[in-house]
Amino acid sequence: MSSPGLTPWETARWAARAGVPLPPGRHDAVAAVVLHIHRVVAILRELDFGDTPPASVYHAEEETHRAAV
Amino acid sequence: MQPYELTLAQAAEALRSRRLSPVELLDSVLDRMEQVEPHLQAYVTVTADRARRAARAAEKEIAAGRHRGPLHGIPMGLKDLIDVVGMPTSAGSRVRAGHRARSDSTVAARLSAAGAVLVGKTHTHEFAYGLITPQTRNAWRGDRVAGGSSGGSAVAVAAGTATFALGTDTGGSIRVPAALNGVVGLKPTYGLVPLHGVTPLSWSLDHVGPLTRTVEDAALVLTALAGHDPRDPTSVAGPSEDYRPGADADLTGLRVGVPRSYYFDHVDPEVEAAVRGALDRLQDLGAQLVEIEIPLSRYLQATHWGLMVPEATACHEGTLRTVPDHYQADVRVLLEAGALMSAADYLRAQRARALMRQEWARVLAEVDLLAAPTVPVTAVKAGQETVTWADGTVEGVADAYVRLCSPANITGFPSLSVPVGHDTAGLPIGMQLLARPLGERVLLRAGHAYEQTQPAPAGALAPVT
Repeated sequence: MSSPGLTPWETARWAARAGVPLPPGRHDAVAAVVLHIHRVVAILRELDFGDTPPASVYHAEEETHRAAV
Repeated sequence: MQPYELTLAQAAEALRSRRLSPVELLDSVLDRMEQVEPHLQAYVTVTADRARRAARAAEKEIAAGRHRGPLHGIPMGLKDLIDVVGMPTSAGSRVRAGHRARSDSTVAARLSAAGAVLVGKTHTHEFAYGLITPQTRNAWRGDRVAGGSSGGSAVAVAAGTATFALGTDTGGSIRVPAALNGVVGLKPTYGLVPLHGVTPLSWSLDHVGPLTRTVEDAALVLTALAGHDPRDPTSVAGPSEDYRPGADADLTGLRVGVPRSYYFDHVDPEVEAAVRGALDRLQDLGAQLVEIEIPLSRYLQATHWGLMVPEATACHEGTLRTVPDHYQADVRVLLEAGALMSAADYLRAQRARALMRQEWARVLAEVDLLAAPTVPVTAVKAGQETVTWADGTVEGVADAYVRLCSPANITGFPSLSVPVGHDTAGLPIGMQLLARPLGERVLLRAGHAYEQTQPAPAGALAPVT
């Protein structure tokens, strides 16, 4: 499956848009990792999901935070 | 035999019958730590004074006839992602400088209530986002990686500087270092052991569980950990139970699935030989080996990455903006790249996971458990970045270590890693057993039975070289 990469400039623009601005010296390194991840996950497009919903489940009752971050 | 050499079950019996006191056991473990910890570096923090106070209290309680159970007075290590009130949870990162936990995690509270004695917090790969734990050395060979991300916990248990420890597992982080250091590692069913107070890496893939010297020891720890916690929205309802396996090693009637594909592809021949030898032992005990196919194996890595990468970035979004240079380079670039994953990619991974769960349930309706290598290679040299297979394929070390473990994270099915021998370099090899959700009992029964087939008693310490 073809996986068009983002240029370093596009990577910086999309990262800023996603709320994680990248310093100029990091554009190339991050663009390379983005491309690698994209190539790995893109094969999921081959699957016929039919009407399968995502595995994540929403619970209507109140949830509490468990994380310590 | 020195007290630090005792398995958890042996130490518990010695403490219960008052042939050994918790203070004597702790002193022995701390002496052992003085000898080997400068070389191994398994611990971030050693809490010797706190441990001595806890051991003296346990001694008094046991002497007064108030023995709480098998963990009472037992020295343990906790991976430094697990909150203990008043202590920092460093998560192996400068990002956490100045952190102090305001309350106990559920697992720390349950172990404390069971009377276990915390000897320290163990090293993790930064925020559990890696398979090496570079701070720590392998317990068997100092020039080899500890594995990760629960590398400190595995090495502490293998070396006798903790009688048991806890780790976390998002793509193999309990089982990988367990296999590489010759100890037992249990990733329980998703939701069986509460994650409240455990620093997340990827909410939908994270698990917490024990690293021990024997399968019976893992069962004893799981018994103290399992049970519903309303503070964890993923926690499964249901009563806690006693997971300790019976003495009977007869596996007659047990159907063990042996994968025809995936789990034995790109596996070191010595690892494969050791695992197939262990399968023969299971057969000797009466188990029936049944060949099975692994469903949707082409999509396992894509699904794992499609879930983990955006979830990890979401966990760290705030600090990635405020203190990005506090992260190690390998973790920072992954977190940054995760910001560019689309919602479509994430939802596709969640849908693939739903298909996989369905297909794996169908496979595990035909067999009682699945047996396979835990990892395809033994501990690589520190600094080694790739593995080259016989057909010329080159694979990243982290990808290789995750490859056979991630299915149990994606599906949430329980998985147990058991030592099954060594390669010609003397490095440990692990076999992985997987079962249906909440099938921990069958895993522990089979793993315990396998250990009884071995000429040497299970639970021997690493030589530490």
